[in-house]
Amino acid sequence: MKRLLFLIFLGFFAGFIYFFSLSLSKPKLSDITLQEGKMLPSIQELVDLNGDIIDERSLSNGKVLLNVWASWCITCLVEHPFLSKLSKGEDLIIIGINYKDDLSKAKNYLDENGDPYKFSIFDYKGYYALKLGVTGAPETFLVIDGKIVKHRIGEINQKVWNDEFKVFF
Amino acid sequence: MGKLIKKFGMMNLKYFFKLIALFCLLANSELLYKNLSEEQLVRLNYLSDNIRCPKCSYGNVSSSNAPISKDIKNEIATLIKDGYSDDEIFELMKNRYGNYILLNSGEDKMPIYLIPLIALIISILAVTTYTIKKSK
Repeated sequence: MKRLLFLIFLGFFAGFIYFFSLSLSKPKLSDITLQEGKMLPSIQELVDLNGDIIDERSLSNGKVLLNVWASWCITCLVEHPFLSKLSKGEDLIIIGINYKDDLSKAKNYLDENGDPYKFSIFDYKGYYALKLGVTGAPETFLVIDGKIVKHRIGEINQKVWNDEFKVFF
Repeated sequence: MGKLIKKFGMMNLKYFFKLIALFCLLANSELLYKNLSEEQLVRLNYLSDNIRCPKCSYGNVSSSNAPISKDIKNEIATLIKDGYSDDEIFELMKNRYGNYILLNSGEDKMPIYLIPLIALIISILAVTTYTIKKSK
């Protein structure tokens, strides 16, 4: 009997350790559903940082990397050099979504750190980002012909690119 | 400070604090959601109490200070004004952020309550059988 109890206890213990290690080994980024498989939301009157109206078709033509950034976002600054590198290499268009930012600060940020974007959508109130399902900055969407094929919440770097984005090229 | 109070008198000081209170109210006026009726405000509170903040995850939209929560609450207010029903708003949020966003979904939670209960029953059974056998 003692041995049986000991075995039951051991079984439970092993089970706990197993589930614990299982949940630890999984990289858990977010519980919210990513926007993969959805089409880009349609919204009128998108403007860029210069105040020019953006043609919506430019977002859904070919392979477009939509990157949510802001001058107040520290992680955006961390991923900025990688985006600059990316803009020179791969066959894709990088478009920024300037999220809840001050216009002069945003322009300053690009002057100081370089501008990897073809243009940036000026989303002062975060309205377009909200429709897109953005929860904060930075976030990156890979859009192929208007369809979101990859959504990343958080920083992108070489490793993330190789693991998650490279397959689409 | 004492001299100052004497100079202005207690009454003036009271007016001063009333003025501060008024300024605080004005500063928070954006939270009052104008153009919503009493009933619609109740619905807004119900919906934002039952929709989780997608960024911070610890609580609902109404208790969170994250910018995204504020945006979602504003969007809910607009949707209510546009005539959407509660179910339609829940559905819209679910489509955008997934089932996780709903705080009142009620599913997937049973095992969490059942596991300790099962563990308790098994341990009680084990201990009683063990003690009964030992006493014999």
